[in-house]
Amino acid sequence: MKFLLRKTLSMGAVLLIVAFMVFVMIRFSPGDPAAILAGDNATEQQIAAIREAMRLDDPLALQFGHWTSQVVSGDLGTSIFSGEPVLDMILQRIEPTISLTLLTMGFAIVVAVVLGVFAAARAGRTTDRLVMVFSVIGFSVPGFVTAYLLIYVLSVRLGWFPVQGYTPLAEGIGPWLHALVLPGLVLSLTYIALIARITRATMLEVLSEDYIRTARAKGVSPNAVLYGHALRNAGVPIVTIVGLGFSMLIGGVVITETVFNIPGIGRLVIDAITKRDYPIIQGITLLLSAVYVMVNLLVDLSYGLIDPRTRKS
Amino acid sequence: MKLNRRLFMSSAAMAIATPAILRAQASPSAAATLRAVMHADLRSFDPFWTTAYITSYHGSMVYDTLFGTDEAGNVKPQMVDTFSVSDDQLAYRFKLRDGLLFSDGAPVRAADCVASLKRFCARDVVGQLLWPRVKTLRALDDQSFELVLSDFFGLTLETLAKTSSCAFIMREQDAMVDPNEQITEIVGSGPFVFNRDETQMGARYVYDKSPTYVPRSGPASGTTGGKQVYLDRVIWENIGDPQTAMSALIAGEIDYFENPPLDFVGDLAANRDVNLLVSNEVGTCGCYRLNHLHPPFDDVRARQAMLYLVKQAEVMAGAFGLSEYTEETPSLFGNNNPMSNRENIGWFEHGQDFDKAAELFEDAGYDGRPVIILQPTDIPVIGVAAQFAAQWLRKAGVNAELAVSDWGAIVSRRAVKKPPEEGGWNIFPTYTATIGSPILYPGHAAGGDSAWFGWPDNPKQEALRMDWTLAKTQEERQEIARKMQANAWDFVPQVNYGQWQQPAALRSDVSGLLKVPDLVPFWNLRKA
Repeated sequence: MKFLLRKTLSMGAVLLIVAFMVFVMIRFSPGDPAAILAGDNATEQQIAAIREAMRLDDPLALQFGHWTSQVVSGDLGTSIFSGEPVLDMILQRIEPTISLTLLTMGFAIVVAVVLGVFAAARAGRTTDRLVMVFSVIGFSVPGFVTAYLLIYVLSVRLGWFPVQGYTPLAEGIGPWLHALVLPGLVLSLTYIALIARITRATMLEVLSEDYIRTARAKGVSPNAVLYGHALRNAGVPIVTIVGLGFSMLIGGVVITETVFNIPGIGRLVIDAITKRDYPIIQGITLLLSAVYVMVNLLVDLSYGLIDPRTRKS
Repeated sequence: MKLNRRLFMSSAAMAIATPAILRAQASPSAAATLRAVMHADLRSFDPFWTTAYITSYHGSMVYDTLFGTDEAGNVKPQMVDTFSVSDDQLAYRFKLRDGLLFSDGAPVRAADCVASLKRFCARDVVGQLLWPRVKTLRALDDQSFELVLSDFFGLTLETLAKTSSCAFIMREQDAMVDPNEQITEIVGSGPFVFNRDETQMGARYVYDKSPTYVPRSGPASGTTGGKQVYLDRVIWENIGDPQTAMSALIAGEIDYFENPPLDFVGDLAANRDVNLLVSNEVGTCGCYRLNHLHPPFDDVRARQAMLYLVKQAEVMAGAFGLSEYTEETPSLFGNNNPMSNRENIGWFEHGQDFDKAAELFEDAGYDGRPVIILQPTDIPVIGVAAQFAAQWLRKAGVNAELAVSDWGAIVSRRAVKKPPEEGGWNIFPTYTATIGSPILYPGHAAGGDSAWFGWPDNPKQEALRMDWTLAKTQEERQEIARKMQANAWDFVPQVNYGQWQQPAALRSDVSGLLKVPDLVPFWNLRKA
């Protein structure tokens, strides 16, 4: 309980710091949303009028105070461009991002752990080397390159999957899943590469332990040794990297949503950055920071489940 | 009833498919829906509040105009049925066509037109030239209104008919909204109705065929004639990645791609399911805006030096490859439009000359200070133009520096009048689709501080520009344009870096795309 309380308080402090830093950084970065909104042929007077109408000329302290008081009451402000509440815009766009992220994580973790265990069990052999080569490729090739290649082959040439877009879950599980296969695959590759490598390395350490030798000597089956004994003991570093890799996943979501035209949070924030739509940038950054902190909290809590020894400490 | 495997599987399949079936029944069919990828995201819905082209496109979907311009450039009545002009061309009377309705079912009245024109003139650059001359603008009855000028204005009907930042007719209550604020309701009398419920900002914009639109009789031409709508729905998909948009077009997921990058055009041309069509034959003209406020370009000789540095063919090849869609243009007004001419183009015929440019910079007293060129990372053609400018300047002995950032930052920095070393700039490359008009393209203004970015100051040029608005015939306007160009290539407000046409790509089963210079008309389009 103390642990949870401490984590919750530190989460609040982290979010406040993030909020302040994001607010200041985007206000001081070059760009004028009023000029972007007014269009290229607008005169200076027209731009100034828009800026005044949107209160972009208010003192920064006033703008920050106004925004933080809104956030505390659950209001993330209003989009400069569309006039829609930022929270509504996020809620409209959150389903595709959650769908893509959860599918990717689920798929990546299962595949990566199996690959890592497989590679560790066959360390030094061809299988192990193939897995490591795949891992290097997955880590090195930019996601958008993989995306374009998959789109060209599987969508344009073969017509097996849609090129772009997202089908809401309400329209059926089949179409929903069908639209997420390619983006999920692209997004998961780097994640799989990372987790597979860590799994393999950790498993190799664990497999050299005495208790593993004892288990084998007692006649425990190879699979039981791997998955029942070794993997559980290798679990803590793997879960840690899953949590740390989440930030990489967020970055990948932005690129994947752009390439596959998925109307999620990633696209929303990219568009907002291009337009200098400050409330949306601030709102999404705050949201993603909160999610990242929560993910790491869950990772911390999972240690106790995986390794009971950590509960006492 | 016993649950067996067959029953379970069929029930499960039904459960999975039912939402899609129900949804399909509620939406127009794919054959009656056109999906388009436009050149930009729709950020504002008020076509009077912003000059962004995409908002003008949106306006042409949901609103109509009193007059339109046909493919030959002639002004013709659109919402107006009949009109009269006094002999001195100061008094205009307009009578609306019968049966015009807004999409909410209310009739279009003269009062709506009066209010709309007032709001239009408050914000529009041409409207702002017209308005000081307006003595009265009033409704005579529900169908008629009059406009009386105190002084002659040669572009009165052209202003009401222009195809960019158009004089759209809104409901009176929408037109009464403060011009410095955006309208919140989108109700027009145009061929389409904006479907806000199905729209997702930043992702997809949905327009349905208007059940209340009353098209004019006769064939459609430009923004005139019968705007018949043969589609039930048009969806603007905001696909930001051009590669993805091209793949989606080839795969048949979208039907129209407004601005495929020119280096994709070869692949699209080779695809039998895709056609290319240039609907804006005037094209887009790239130009280097020179900052007249600070050295070295505060000296006319330094600006003239730029005329001997820029090699348009190189920029066009660098940006687009060897393309049939690009050309060089010596005219201040670009090529392919009524104002194009060949006055005072000796510099163009002379060609690139680094020695001559270096000499002119020296005469101008260039002292070696950095010349700052704004380079965007996210608009390829302008980025290429900036890099070429830097390279040429360095060859002429000028210390050129590229200030690299995204377009959003450049839009902010280009407005800075401070010296370059304090956050300003010397060269701002850009492009425009309205260079053929001394009024529509703000870059032709030469009023110093009140002019467009670069702030050229030449009273003679400004006087000629105003004379152009008072010309009574096209021949008079062309004569003034020749004088403007002759003067311009002496004082050099800007330097062009090339002109290009942008073909749109559409599926081969789509037909009927009309040619309109400044917007994409979705009426008249059919899907086979």
